[in-house]
Amino acid sequence: MSRVQVDRERCVGSGVCESLAPEVFEIDDEGVLQVHREEPAADDLDGVRDAVQSCPARALALAE
Amino acid sequence: MSVNTPAGPVDVASLDIDAIDLSDRDFWAEPPAVRHAVFDKLRAERPFAWFAEPTMEGMEPGPGYWAVTRLADLDAISSQPAVFCSGQGAVSIQDIPADLSEFYGSMISMDDPRHARIRRIVAKTFTPRMLEQVVDSVVGIVDDVLAEARAKAEAGDGSLDVVADIAAPIPLRIICDMMGVPEEDRLLVLNASNTILSGGDPELTDEADPLTALLEAGMAMAELMGRLAAERIENPTDDLTTALVNSEVDGEKLTHQEIASFFILLLVAGNETTRTAIAQGLLALSENPEQRAAWMADPSMDKTAVEEIVRVVSPVTWMRRTATQDGEVNGHAFKEGDKFLLFYNAANRDPEAFENPHALDLSRSPNNHVGFGGHGPHFCLGAHLARRELAVTFRRLFEICPDLEITGEPARLRSSFVNGLKRLPARLTGDR
Repeated sequence: MSRVQVDRERCVGSGVCESLAPEVFEIDDEGVLQVHREEPAADDLDGVRDAVQSCPARALALAE
Repeated sequence: MSVNTPAGPVDVASLDIDAIDLSDRDFWAEPPAVRHAVFDKLRAERPFAWFAEPTMEGMEPGPGYWAVTRLADLDAISSQPAVFCSGQGAVSIQDIPADLSEFYGSMISMDDPRHARIRRIVAKTFTPRMLEQVVDSVVGIVDDVLAEARAKAEAGDGSLDVVADIAAPIPLRIICDMMGVPEEDRLLVLNASNTILSGGDPELTDEADPLTALLEAGMAMAELMGRLAAERIENPTDDLTTALVNSEVDGEKLTHQEIASFFILLLVAGNETTRTAIAQGLLALSENPEQRAAWMADPSMDKTAVEEIVRVVSPVTWMRRTATQDGEVNGHAFKEGDKFLLFYNAANRDPEAFENPHALDLSRSPNNHVGFGGHGPHFCLGAHLARRELAVTFRRLFEICPDLEITGEPARLRSSFVNGLKRLPARLTGDR
């Protein structure tokens, strides 16, 4: 099972991940990244990989 | 370096690399083809090129800087903020003089942890979800501006100025709406942000010397923010200014100075960059009519087309980083205190990263450009907003002004920092 990992020190809440995989990522009202599904559904994996790749702060990883 | 306007394509091989000087203000007045040829040469032959600093009246020139032109090198520097810091200045080659840092020492020129603290406060206002709420107002503003431009052109001989009538008012109204800047103060915001990003272009700083003009523009903006902030503390609304004056991180509110410099950053960054992307984007489309027609006919291209416009235009030409230690990056040795200018315009046309890099390809995918900055904590806060503004603007332009035709040469801003246009003559042919 693939698992999303967030480096909280690096995350700046840019929301790029949310724009690519909204089912999985959301920046909450406090500007903090919430991961709705730490083990994303198979359908969401492409978006999550895209988000990991695109995160400007390089704060995301997907352990596969 | 002096290069006369060439009649045809620029012969890169004939350029003398040792004669290139990116600090020469005249270089930035050269036609785009010449500048691209120079950056092609640097990228291919001297990807870390050393230049003496430009002279600016009233400032001691510093030691010089490395010009970084390859995408891989730029991204390596950008993504190591502890080694390559922003705190000694990100938007000026010289270190920021103390009397300017009050107004211009915003988070773009800060390092963590202070940068992260402020960025998180404001980031929550710029997330995709928050922006969904302003989409309707973006569409409304774009439609209003285009209708006004159309009416103005039709009341005359059909001519208009793309910059003054379309590209400038759209982002200005959007960012002023978000911040809650009253109608009567918006001209001040436009003029001050022009001055701040003019790079000393004499047309935009009047007669004043650049430092005085910068200081005065900063003071005018800070005064406006002080007034707005005081009003919002009394009478909170749902605008960004209210959010800023009330937000707390770890129980701490933003200081008055932090709010003022952030306000200036947002107004300037939110205005000039999007304006440049719209105006230069329209120019690029007019030079590529078959692509314009394809995009116009197919709204599903909006996403890739907007990215491609940002890539080829690269509204912000560079940002600076400063080495905090001796080290090596991709085989290039550097010393503590060395300055690096990250040339986004050059990296965005790196043949290692983009096939046929000088061609506009509105369906380019993937398109890992650095038009919003490289990887790292300073990645453009407004990227989601900018993408939205650009997608709406071009789509509505195709619908409301499909007969827009560029009729003359643009007046280009002579600035190394922003790839701006001052004027772009056009007309509505009435054929729609």
